[in-house]
Amino acid sequence: MARLEKTVFFPPKVTPETEAFWNGCREHKLLVPVCRHCGKTYWPAGKFCPDCLSEDTGWKEASGKGTLYSYVVFEQAFHPSLTEKLPYVVATVDLEEGVRLVTNVTDCELEEVRCGMPVTVDWADGEQYTHPVFVPVKE
Amino acid sequence: MDLSDLKNKIAIVGVGYTPQGKVPGRTVSSFHVEATRNAIEDAGISKEDVDALFLYRYFAPSSYDYDTTGFTVTEALGITPSVVSQEHQCTRGWLYHAVSLLMTGLAKYVVISFADNSRSSRRAFVNELSNGEATNDLAAFGDLSTVAKYAMQGRRAMELYGSGPEVWKEISIAQRNWALLNPIAGMYGKPLDEAGYYAARKVVDPFRLLDATPTTDGGRAVVLTTAERAKSLKQKPVYIRGIGSNHHMVLASKISVEDGENSAASIASKKAFKMAGITLKDIDALQLYDCFTYTVEATLRDYGFFRLGESKEFLTKERLGPGGELPVNTSGGMLSEAYFMGMTPLSEAVMQLQGRAGDRQLGVLKGTKEPGIIVVSDNGGVFQSHATLVLSSEV
Repeated sequence: MARLEKTVFFPPKVTPETEAFWNGCREHKLLVPVCRHCGKTYWPAGKFCPDCLSEDTGWKEASGKGTLYSYVVFEQAFHPSLTEKLPYVVATVDLEEGVRLVTNVTDCELEEVRCGMPVTVDWADGEQYTHPVFVPVKE
Repeated sequence: MDLSDLKNKIAIVGVGYTPQGKVPGRTVSSFHVEATRNAIEDAGISKEDVDALFLYRYFAPSSYDYDTTGFTVTEALGITPSVVSQEHQCTRGWLYHAVSLLMTGLAKYVVISFADNSRSSRRAFVNELSNGEATNDLAAFGDLSTVAKYAMQGRRAMELYGSGPEVWKEISIAQRNWALLNPIAGMYGKPLDEAGYYAARKVVDPFRLLDATPTTDGGRAVVLTTAERAKSLKQKPVYIRGIGSNHHMVLASKISVEDGENSAASIASKKAFKMAGITLKDIDALQLYDCFTYTVEATLRDYGFFRLGESKEFLTKERLGPGGELPVNTSGGMLSEAYFMGMTPLSEAVMQLQGRAGDRQLGVLKGTKEPGIIVVSDNGGVFQSHATLVLSSEV
C-alpha cells in the first residue's frame, strides 16, 4: 500500500492569461474561464473564447466536484528533485463545469484510485504557489 | 474535399539510411547530410536536383551540438534550394507541403530528412521543464514527459475497455519478432517473450519501459517527385495513392479514448482511404507510428479494424507478427528498430513495396503475400495530430 500525500512540485510558468487561475488557487478558489457572450466554460485559459471568439470573457468559481477521467502513477523521476516523491499520481478530472484539468490525486491509498471515481478539490500549499489536487469523495 | 485528382501523381523514389542505434560523436547535421546524400544516390538524382528540403522536425540541441535548422543543413549539403522548411514540433504538415509543391511545379524534387543524436546525448523527451524552470503549467503537478500523457490514455483504455499489458505485450513481442529479421534493428538478435516484457520496470504505470520507444542516433531521408519523373529514375516508384491529415489542436489532457470518429486518426484515415478508393480489406500491411505500444492499438482501433473494447481479441502477436494476416511494423518499428519518428514507418513501407526488405520481405517470407498497398501513419502530440498515407506499388 502506498499512501498518496499532498506534495508540491515546480512553480508553474504564469502568463497574463493564467494569472487569475493561479491567484485564485492561493485563495483556495478553483476558477475556470467562462465566456460571458456565449456562456461556455473552456480550457485552457485565454483572452478570447475558443468557441465564439468573443473577448468578453472572465472567470467563474467551480464547485470543485468532478469525476476522475484517468490517471497515471509516476514510478520514474523525470527530474532529480522528484525521486523522493515517488510514487505520485497525475490525473485528469472532468469538472462539473465541463472542463478537464490536469491535477494530482492525494489523501488516499494508491490502490483506491479508479477511473470514473467521484472526486473533490483540495489544495496543496507551497511557499511559492498553491495548486489544486483532488481527493476521493467518501461514500 | 475530393483529392482523387492527386491519386498516384506523386511518388517516393529514394530512401537514405545512416548508421543507427548508438553512434557517438556525431552532430545532428551530419546525420541529415548522410541520410540525404544516401537518399538522393538511391533515387539516382544529383544534389542540385533537390529544390525543396524539409527537416522532419526540430529538436533543441544537445550539449555538444549547435542548433540544427533547414538552413544549416542546406549549407552542409552545399545546395541552394527554392524551399527550405522544418516542422517545429510534433504536428507535421510536410506531406501536404511536398505534394503541393510537386503538383504545382514549384519544386521538382523534395527531400524529407529526420536526424537526431538523442541516444548518445541522452536528451530526455521532457518539454515541461527547461533548466529546472517550468515551461507551462504541467510541471506544477509533476506531469513531466510525453510517456505520462500516453499512459493516461492507456490507463483509461485498460480500466474501462479491456486493454492493458496483456494487449501491449502482444504488440511489443510481434514487433520484436519482426526486428529479429532486420539486421539494422536496435533489437536484432534480442528475442523477447512474455516474461521478458513483464520483467521490464514500470516507468509511468501502466506503461513499462518496453511500452516506450527507445531513443536512437541516426537519420533517415526520402526523396519525392512526380510520378512522371519517377519513371526514369533508378528505383521502382512507390506511389502516394491517398493522403489525409488532421490536427486536433487541443491539450493532450483533452483527448479521450472515446473520441472514436472524431479522433485525428479516424478523420485523417477516412480522407486518405477515400482519396485512394480503398477499404480496410485492401490493405496488405501497415507501418504505424508506434511511439508507444498503445499508440498501435489506438491507431488500428481509430482506423476501424476493431471497436473500443475488442483490442484483446484482435491484437495478437500471431496476427501482427511475421507470417500473420495483418503485418504491422515489419522493420520492428520504432519500438524495436529505430526511433526516426514518422520516417521509420514511411521508409519501411517504401522498402517493402520496392521488394528491398531482405529477410523480412513480404511475399518472400513464409506465410506472407507480396504487398500492393501499405498504409503508413504519422502521429503527433498525444493523438492530437495524425497523417495517413496510402502507398501503392502500382498506379
